[in-house]
Amino acid sequence: MREADPVEPPVISPQQKADIVLDVIRTRRVVRRYTDEPVADEQIRRVLEAGRWATTGGNRRIHRFLVTRDPKTIRLIKLISPGMLGAPTAVILICLDHEAIEREQTQEGHSSGLVDVGTQAMNMMVAAHALGLGSCPVTSFSQSGMSTLLELPPTASPLLMVLLGHPAPHRRVMRHGAKTRLTIEDLTYWEHYGRKTPQ
Amino acid sequence: MSERTVVNEEEAYELLAHLVASAELCIREPYYYGTFRLIDAASKLMGFMLQNGGDGDRAWLESFKHEVDTKKEWMMWDREGYFEFLRSATGSVAGELKHRGDSSV
Repeated sequence: MREADPVEPPVISPQQKADIVLDVIRTRRVVRRYTDEPVADEQIRRVLEAGRWATTGGNRRIHRFLVTRDPKTIRLIKLISPGMLGAPTAVILICLDHEAIEREQTQEGHSSGLVDVGTQAMNMMVAAHALGLGSCPVTSFSQSGMSTLLELPPTASPLLMVLLGHPAPHRRVMRHGAKTRLTIEDLTYWEHYGRKTPQ
Repeated sequence: MSERTVVNEEEAYELLAHLVASAELCIREPYYYGTFRLIDAASKLMGFMLQNGGDGDRAWLESFKHEVDTKKEWMMWDREGYFEFLRSATGSVAGELKHRGDSSV
């Protein structure tokens, strides 16, 4: 029997690649309502992979990810997490690892450690959206409560959760007259702080 | 006025955890987040009351809970509308309390 010809990956132009990436970034939204359908481990792995590829200050890698899929544990986490509004089926907790901080000779409180949490979470959420999942970042939880529930070692500080799940249908209701979202022009200055145009 | 229990022990613990954790978060979060935690706790309480079938005005509870759940999210993208809702919300509760008082006479 003749083997099938290997399938060549589709060749896309840099423009097409940019369009795909920017479309995923632009269409991602925070999702706070999920179905009961579990997130497949393979999908969680791909989301974690995206987090792994995030930039970190000095490539120090002072964070660790803790994945929780057990519904009972997630329910307990929700009880001490007022910022967790939905019922996700998986949670990735990003922790600061103090042993790694010491090993990398990073000073406690250095802001890059917090910045890195954001870049990791953002990569994960963009990847989740590309995979058809919904996600939501949550920092509004009790850190002492989280450490107790998940039996974290004293060397791990929980900083941010990325909630994952399959999005449930939901229509956002807006007030008539509510302000619309900020534009690039609202957010950006050129060359000098306060200059609105790039001329 | 009914003396029926509308929050069971498990639900009470859920509210307890929410309120204590919210108090902790108020130390470090923007002040208006505290208002969100309280109105969210009110939503949870109404959910328990509806679930356990109190003798109160179910239609009012359902309607008010729906309004709370819709408008509490405005805190994130329409703060002006959210504050406007908060200013009117107690009036809704007061109206229901008055209605309950009148009907129990």
